[in-house]
Amino acid sequence: MKNQQHPVPPRWARKSLEWWAGTADTEDLLGDLEEDFLYNLAEKGKLKAQLIYLRQVASLAFSYSLKKRKKNSAYSHYYSGNSLTMIRNYFKIAVRNFSKQKLFTSINIVGLALGMSVCLLALSISVSILQSDSFHDKKDRIYQVNTHMIDKDDNVVYGSTFPAVGNYMEEKYPFIETALHIHTGFLATVNHNNNLLDFHGYFVDPEFFDVFSFELTQGDPSSALATPNTIVLTESVAAKLFREADPMGQLLETETGTYTVTGIMPDPKQTHLYFEVLTSELTYIQQRGQTNRVTEWQEYRGHYLYLLLQPGTSPEALELALGQTSQKAGEYNAERSIALESVGLGEAVPRWNISNAIGIGWDYPSMLFFLFIGLIILLPAIFNYTNLSISRALKRAKEIGIRKVVGAEKGQIQMQFIVETIVITLLALAGSILIFIPLQNEFLTIVAAAEVLDTSLRPLLLIIFILFGLLIGVVAGLFPAIYFSRLSPIHSLKGGYQGGGLRSVSISGIRKGLFVFQFGLSLFFVIGVATMAKQYRHVFSRSHGFSSEQVLTIPFYGQNKEVAIEALAAHPDVSSVTAASHLPGIAIYNQAEVTPNGRDTIIVAEVFVGSNFIENMEMELVWGSSLALENSTINEESVVVNEQFLRSVSVFPRSADTLTFVHADGTHARIAGVLKDLHYEPLSTEIRPMVFRHSLQNSNFVMLGIHSNDVPKTIGELEAIWAGIDQKIPFEATFLDSEIERAYLFLTVQIKIFSFLGALAITISCLGLLGMVSYATENRTKEIAIRKIMGASVSDIYLILTRDFVKLICYSALLAIPISYFFYDRLFLYMLIRYGTGVGLGEVVLSVVFLFLIGFLFIFWQTSKVAQTNPATNLRYE
Amino acid sequence: MKGYLGEFEELVLLTIANLGKEAYGLGLIRDINERTSRNLSMGAMHSTLTRLEEKGFITSFLGEPTNERGGRRKRYFELTSTGINALHDMKSLRDELWANTKVKLSL
Repeated sequence: MKNQQHPVPPRWARKSLEWWAGTADTEDLLGDLEEDFLYNLAEKGKLKAQLIYLRQVASLAFSYSLKKRKKNSAYSHYYSGNSLTMIRNYFKIAVRNFSKQKLFTSINIVGLALGMSVCLLALSISVSILQSDSFHDKKDRIYQVNTHMIDKDDNVVYGSTFPAVGNYMEEKYPFIETALHIHTGFLATVNHNNNLLDFHGYFVDPEFFDVFSFELTQGDPSSALATPNTIVLTESVAAKLFREADPMGQLLETETGTYTVTGIMPDPKQTHLYFEVLTSELTYIQQRGQTNRVTEWQEYRGHYLYLLLQPGTSPEALELALGQTSQKAGEYNAERSIALESVGLGEAVPRWNISNAIGIGWDYPSMLFFLFIGLIILLPAIFNYTNLSISRALKRAKEIGIRKVVGAEKGQIQMQFIVETIVITLLALAGSILIFIPLQNEFLTIVAAAEVLDTSLRPLLLIIFILFGLLIGVVAGLFPAIYFSRLSPIHSLKGGYQGGGLRSVSISGIRKGLFVFQFGLSLFFVIGVATMAKQYRHVFSRSHGFSSEQVLTIPFYGQNKEVAIEALAAHPDVSSVTAASHLPGIAIYNQAEVTPNGRDTIIVAEVFVGSNFIENMEMELVWGSSLALENSTINEESVVVNEQFLRSVSVFPRSADTLTFVHADGTHARIAGVLKDLHYEPLSTEIRPMVFRHSLQNSNFVMLGIHSNDVPKTIGELEAIWAGIDQKIPFEATFLDSEIERAYLFLTVQIKIFSFLGALAITISCLGLLGMVSYATENRTKEIAIRKIMGASVSDIYLILTRDFVKLICYSALLAIPISYFFYDRLFLYMLIRYGTGVGLGEVVLSVVFLFLIGFLFIFWQTSKVAQTNPATNLRYE
Repeated sequence: MKGYLGEFEELVLLTIANLGKEAYGLGLIRDINERTSRNLSMGAMHSTLTRLEEKGFITSFLGEPTNERGGRRKRYFELTSTGINALHDMKSLRDELWANTKVKLSL
């Protein structure tokens, strides 16, 4: 019958209700709806009837009635959703499958566990950074003041601000409860049992412990830092210095004065501040002397300000106050525009872009980069899983076919595979956490100041890990799930799938891509390790521009330097003696300013040297004489500079006499010699303009050229001479070579990191290779047996079996080599070691051979199993 | 008194009794709408019917397919003995209360 003539209710509304109801019985409801519609159509017109229809559909959709009907139908045989019973069943099937396929399961678990370990580390660090400073009681009222500075060159936000801002605001605005000043750069160098120990810390206001919720285990928080020369130690420092003894009230002799220990606090954790010791603000004033008002409003580096607001202060009030203070600051900084900004304590780290941040200054880019590295390692493991699952298709096609025939729907098959993957990933997660613990300890020793981050396994972290594991499970399982749910039951049951099976067993399409990616990545890391190792060798073989062999260095500790030098030079094995303030080959941290023309200044590295320094170190002069260094007159000091210095000053307009300039302390200097550019600092730093000044008094090290057949004996005799001058001063002789080696510690760290990542990537790829080869060969057992019977030799079989994989490994090498070359040579090494050698052909070839060997080994191992067995046994297979 | 009967539930039960063999979803809605000048939604009505069925006051069965409603069957409701008892309990409670009023209630 045709009743299409009269209007019908909106189809989409009915359809969506039906969809929403799922398998629940809605026949009577839809009937009621339609009857009502026809009735309303006659009574009230089309539009009204449709509107009422929609309203009724909506009311039904959310009604208890429908909910109940859905629930009832969930237990019927027709329901396609997933109930708990089904999931339990999937779980059971998964476990049975695992025990049936032990190789597959263990490869995946090991691979995923390795892959996830780096991710877990990155996650734990990110969580820890994001949670920084959440323990302070007053954290909602504490704001850090930042300075946004724009001048003609720069547009930068600094984490620091002018020291004058705090007092100015505290006086002017009553809603500020406390303005807390922190100055960085407090360095306590303590002579402890003849060892110089450096402790870094902050100068802070007495209210420090009031504003922040750091606790003191000993001492009074309100008075601990109220007077000059008081110091609060962290527990680890106290333990280092005083061991068992009670540190309270002890006097601490340092190079900047004597401090009284007035408090002990636990090591700071989970905070953006990083310090080992704290001293009082008054100490700072005492050490620096009174500064004038103007510089208080101009100097901003290393001065930090935290504002504690009265409860209930609106952020707008603070914004307004900061705006007014910015104007005040602008009066002193005419040439740049200043905007003070406030950042809540919770948002102090991580930041996207900030300069001169206090503490370690965690930022988002490095955090995300680390997460990215973790994912890069994890991806191959996920690919492995996907790859291997699909290559198992042949084995499981029948199972899926039967499931489908019995009535499983697509969604159920997908769910089954996802549950299976989740079970695997959770098992892998457990393994991964076992790897994570030692990894985290290693990480803490590698990364400076990482101990502030609390990466211990807390419940919160565990929950995040498990969520992460579930997510990875879903991601890894999705592709196989979709693949399997699409299998046609007729084909897989009839064995038709097996007929076309060869195509699906031989690696094809997307899986080829995944495989190439994995090996490419491994190769990338292997080349990285090889390159880094090359740089390491290069650093010591390359001439830095001075001789570091057989040079013994001994630090001075306040004895008479001239006497010491003379006494040491008298020893017969000592061929030359000189002194320097900074050892060549090691980074120079302090810098000086010089004025070439009375107006402009350039920043230089300043080194004080003793007599004969340049000859003894065999440095090459391009002009002038090194002896001139000692011919200073009262009016002019003779200095030696490097070529870079000349290049730097050449941009400034200068008077006729281009060989003179003025030191920051006002001394006039005349250039008496020019050194060929040399690497006085490690190769990672750019060659800076340098000035060599002659001053034994400012030298910190004595440097002896040694020619001896029995070095330990000579050193012993030198120590006796040293002790003869002053008993109390320790003799710490080291060879310059080993000092330089220590300066390149960062390279060792890089090699360590890359080796670890490389080892992970290679293991994961090889596990993948192992799985793929073993399944491919297993599935071709019969084929191989027939080939053998027909007369194929063992080597033919090898060729047939390995051809595909060898091709793929070659592709991955072709892909990885140019990328790694570009990355390491152009980017990474440029940043790491500016004067390195780059990536050499040798390293690349070596890496490729290395990876090929490993790959072939795995292929060979697996194919041997099939190729060598008796074909008669193989034919009985299946 | 067993099982609390809401005002609306009582109304629905009585209407089912009133409609007799013609007690199905939309019929009930129309009848109640006419008598009480309400504007009931289908969701509300069917939810109440479901709850009453859960409590065992009514049972339901599907009728024969008809030409209206796109050939879909109607679901008819009828009272169970528990439902009738509940109505009686309700009525006797009301009667008792009416009988014992201390204030004059007649209009």
